[in-house]
Amino acid sequence: MASIAQKRGTKPTGFRRLLSPDLKTREVIAAYIFLSPFLIFFTIFFIRATIASVGYSFLDWRLLRPSPPYIGLENYAELFNDHIWWDSVWHTFYFAIMTVLGTTIVGLAAALAVTRPVRGAGFMRVFLYIPQILSAGAMGLIWNWLLSGQFGVINYVLSFVGIRPVNWLGDPNLVIPALSLATIWWTFGFPMLIFIAGLQGIPGHLYEAAKIDGANGWQAFRYITLPLLRPTILFIMVTGVIAHFQVFGQPYLISGGGPGRSSWTAVIYLYNQAWVAFRMGYGAAVAMTIAIIMAVITAFQFLVISRRVEY
Amino acid sequence: MFKRSSIALTAILVVVLMVMMSFALTVQAQDGGDTPPTETPSVVGAGGTQITFWNGLTGSDGVTLIEMLNGFAEDNPDIQVIVEMIAWGPLYQKLQTAFVAGTYPDVFMLHASEVPQYASYGVLRDLTDQYTSGGGWLPNDDISAITMSGMMWGDGPEIWGIPLDNHGRGLWINEDMFEAAGISTDPDSAPTTYEGWVELFQKLTLDANGNNALSPDFDPENVVQWGYTVGEWPNVNFIGALYQHGGSFLSDDGLTVTVNSEAGITALQQTVDLVYKYHVSPPSAGFDTWQAFGAGTVAVLPTGTWYRNQSLLQTDIHSRAWRNVQWGPHPATWIGIHTWMVPAGLEDPEKLDAIFRMIEWVSNNQVLWAASGQVPARLSAQAALDPENYPSNILLGQSFSEYGVQDPKTTVTQEILGYLDAELQNALNGLKDPETALNDAAELMQEALDRSQM
Repeated sequence: MASIAQKRGTKPTGFRRLLSPDLKTREVIAAYIFLSPFLIFFTIFFIRATIASVGYSFLDWRLLRPSPPYIGLENYAELFNDHIWWDSVWHTFYFAIMTVLGTTIVGLAAALAVTRPVRGAGFMRVFLYIPQILSAGAMGLIWNWLLSGQFGVINYVLSFVGIRPVNWLGDPNLVIPALSLATIWWTFGFPMLIFIAGLQGIPGHLYEAAKIDGANGWQAFRYITLPLLRPTILFIMVTGVIAHFQVFGQPYLISGGGPGRSSWTAVIYLYNQAWVAFRMGYGAAVAMTIAIIMAVITAFQFLVISRRVEY
Repeated sequence: MFKRSSIALTAILVVVLMVMMSFALTVQAQDGGDTPPTETPSVVGAGGTQITFWNGLTGSDGVTLIEMLNGFAEDNPDIQVIVEMIAWGPLYQKLQTAFVAGTYPDVFMLHASEVPQYASYGVLRDLTDQYTSGGGWLPNDDISAITMSGMMWGDGPEIWGIPLDNHGRGLWINEDMFEAAGISTDPDSAPTTYEGWVELFQKLTLDANGNNALSPDFDPENVVQWGYTVGEWPNVNFIGALYQHGGSFLSDDGLTVTVNSEAGITALQQTVDLVYKYHVSPPSAGFDTWQAFGAGTVAVLPTGTWYRNQSLLQTDIHSRAWRNVQWGPHPATWIGIHTWMVPAGLEDPEKLDAIFRMIEWVSNNQVLWAASGQVPARLSAQAALDPENYPSNILLGQSFSEYGVQDPKTTVTQEILGYLDAELQNALNGLKDPETALNDAAELMQEALDRSQM
């Protein structure tokens, strides 16, 4: 039975709209109902914790201290004056740039290779994705063995071409590139998967037209594939920066943050303050600062890349 | 062209991946080896009074502890002990959060260096009444002075813990390498000066051509056998050397960090010189000391009492324990103490009775604990050790009682040791000179110490 509003040919608004929803409203309500389990847990375990962390960052809270005093912005002031923090941030940037670029390039190359209609392409997709499913612990153990200066496989292989053992994890100039290499191997599967989806979305007639016009493979890639993959590249880079800026497992498990503090990252710094020194208030200030840095970087990426995206 | 390069890249990725996956499978195979891991939590006994016990004894010492608790459960069938073994780092974290949440265990074991922190926050039960001085069962005079000092904190007479053992720094030497170099393996023949130790390490360090580090033809870029290694727990090595030179970690009032004293700089410089001047030790980073000793590429391994069982497993390496190196005029070596602690909030008399019966039983049977490699804390148990089976426990135990040095007694010990360790690593890897490294460490440590006083 039609409602009065429908009879009059006008759309109900506000509360009435909820009582007699049209198709679009019903879809929105259904979407929120399906999303609600996630939203409830997200609110309880993430939003609430994040807001609480903002409050904690103004306290001098050692974990077992019963009533931590309010100290205003002192934690932030100490953080900005700590050169170890800034060194850690620099290491993190260095690592994130190398790994985001590395996983994007390797992921794209792998995606291009496995989207070709050749035998075994499906198997190769699965095979290349396998490292992504390894736990950080397994990955750390594997790369510890590979990069070991004494007994490492990489040094063993290099010895056949006359290269003396390289102290990958003991040289401050090599440790971040070594960790980046391990991370690229470990995580390029996800970008590969997204790139495969992106490549499959590019209409085939564009390549046919380019071929008729005499374009070679590189030109087709340069002028068709790459421009049409820009939304995908933006997604990969934004999620990559967010993920790799929070790097913890690789330096913690493979290099122990060393030599010295040469591979301390922002989250290793946070971990040491919050979970070794048990300075929870200071740790919360570090966490807030990391979140702000990541938000700024993400906004910057959107600004630079999304302007030129061709949808 | 692009097609070819992408296919080539994929081929390289596939090869690399296959190599990696074979490693992953090897790791898995090793994890599932012949020796099943100690079940955690382990349930010991079937009695009606249940107590939970957390500790960080995840190595072979944990196996010994479970064996001892099985013995306790046989004698005390009314008690069940649920033992949760967690690596020390996560245990510290779990304990602190458990105290905040009110879900702490009935009894736990930490290192004595943690007594000040936990006692200062009021979460520890005063255990003075367990000692004979407080009317209890544990004779005070059966505990060495150095061990007893680790159980105490603050101005009062309270005793916050009951010691299980002394574990600390000693050396394990490769006897075959010593004999090949013409050096006696008798611990009593060990040098007592820095110069003497350097000469010993030089004799034991060999290049690929078989020249030792004393030879003019020695090639320091191509060493195949190291005399020594500075990499395992640099701060433990440093504390021993610091005190050997008459230095100290803190001033007498405990308020000022003094690691960057003349004694400290000398101690660290001597260690750094072993790497960069004498070429008898590799830099610390990226060098696995236990693997190297097990592979027969290190002659003298500075490690601890806990290495005993590993050395027994390595039947192809003939090794024995020596006392810690002595580089300064005074002998000194680092020790730690595994310590029973009971939460202040636990008031259930039945559980408290079960806990103290368990601690007393283990304490009275501490001779069994020597099988873990550690040195029993009670002097009577040390005296009862069989020299045939426990030579390392006896030798190192004596050195701990005579000149052992503990971590500094502060409420922020883990934090300041973290700062020291990073700066020692900087020096040992040639990133900073010893004086700068120690000054930088002292500055950070002092800030942490000052914060703890507020």
